Amino acid sequence: MAYSDKVLDHYSNPRNVGSLDKSSQEVGTGLVGAPECGDVMKLQIKVNPQTNIIEDAKFKTFGCGSAIASSSLATEWVKGKTVDEALQIKNTEIVKELSLPPVKIHCSVLAEDAIRAAIHDWKKKQDVSKPATVEAR
Amino acid sequence: MRWSRAGRAATMESMTVEVSNPVATASCWSCGEMRVSQFCHACGKVQQPLPVDYFTFFSLPQKLEVDVGRLERAFYELSRKLHPDVYARGDAREQEWSLQQSSLLNDAYRTLKDPIKRTEYVLRLEGVELEEQSKTATDRARSTGEIKKQVVPPDLLEEVFDLNMQLEELRAQKKLGEDDPALVEEIGRQKLELEEKHGALVEQLKARWKEWDKAVDSGSEEDRRKVRDGMIDLLNRRNYIRNLVRDVNEVLEN
Ligand code: FES
Repeated sequence: MAYSDKVLDHYSNPRNVGSLDKSSQEVGTGLVGAPECGDVMKLQIKVNPQTNIIEDAKFKTFGCGSAIASSSLATEWVKGKTVDEALQIKNTEIVKELSLPPVKIHCSVLAEDAIRAAIHDWKKKQDVSKPATVEAR
Repeated sequence: MRWSRAGRAATMESMTVEVSNPVATASCWSCGEMRVSQFCHACGKVQQPLPVDYFTFFSLPQKLEVDVGRLERAFYELSRKLHPDVYARGDAREQEWSLQQSSLLNDAYRTLKDPIKRTEYVLRLEGVELEEQSKTATDRARSTGEIKKQVVPPDLLEEVFDLNMQLEELRAQKKLGEDDPALVEEIGRQKLELEEKHGALVEQLKARWKEWDKAVDSGSEEDRRKVRDGMIDLLNRRNYIRNLVRDVNEVLEN
């Protein structure tokens, strides 16, 4: 199967590989897997508590080229967005951007899942730490 | 079982039939009697395959608990009877159909014999596409705004992730030609654990078979759904672990 140029670019030159401090209050971690192929993806975001803007994002993916490219792209896209904006990212947009073929759609699903899971994890931390000020500002 | 090939061969001569066009029906093309899956039970002639499920193909009840001995015997008997040599002198239709039946026979046998494939097959007959599960769950999560229930349980994901990290390290070490024996040992130990887990999952899956068959018999939709979801869950875990073991082996062997 031929990968698109964009996939190859992200694959050979992935952005934002690495990890953030999992225990930090400002960091949300999403760990997701695709049962179809056994791949795993970890995506982390660091959110500014004042603005709810995602200031940093890292990922580590064990999986196919499309999964790596999807998560690499996802970290690029979420950076600078508010968490609510980031929740709007859909796997179909990733598919389009990377020109993924139908058999690789689940790889983009994985990336969307990872974003959601990371945000969910972050929100949970905020609720626990300061239940009264969730909607600050 | 003996069967006569004489039948009503005479009537065939007058017909001009193209091999691939006639629609397979439940009656024998040659004598018009009721047929079973492969042969007419009256005249014994080979038939065009019917679009039946694999259980029906073997005249087995559609159950997950399969009498494997019976399946095997049926397979060998049919293989013999459908063997191309038997039809070397048959008419073109018989040659074609016996070939089609043979390949169906092999697919059906391979699927039903294997516990995992059999379970996946029954689920597919139920309309469950394992590959679609994840996608469907994401769509649901998106529309409800809730967190998606991961098809793979979180503790297993952690494990898979950590092991992958170690594998990556070992791969890097091997490239430099200096693999750390402690790491190799540690990974080998985890591999054994995974294999045990894999075996346990298959056993758990088999334990569900009886429940499934019972639910089907009783007609309880709720029981059926419950057992079905349990089996899907087990299959997903198993696939995950199987892939991981494959990766581990690859790294250890290179
Ligand atoms: S093949 Fe598994 S994520 Fe792409």
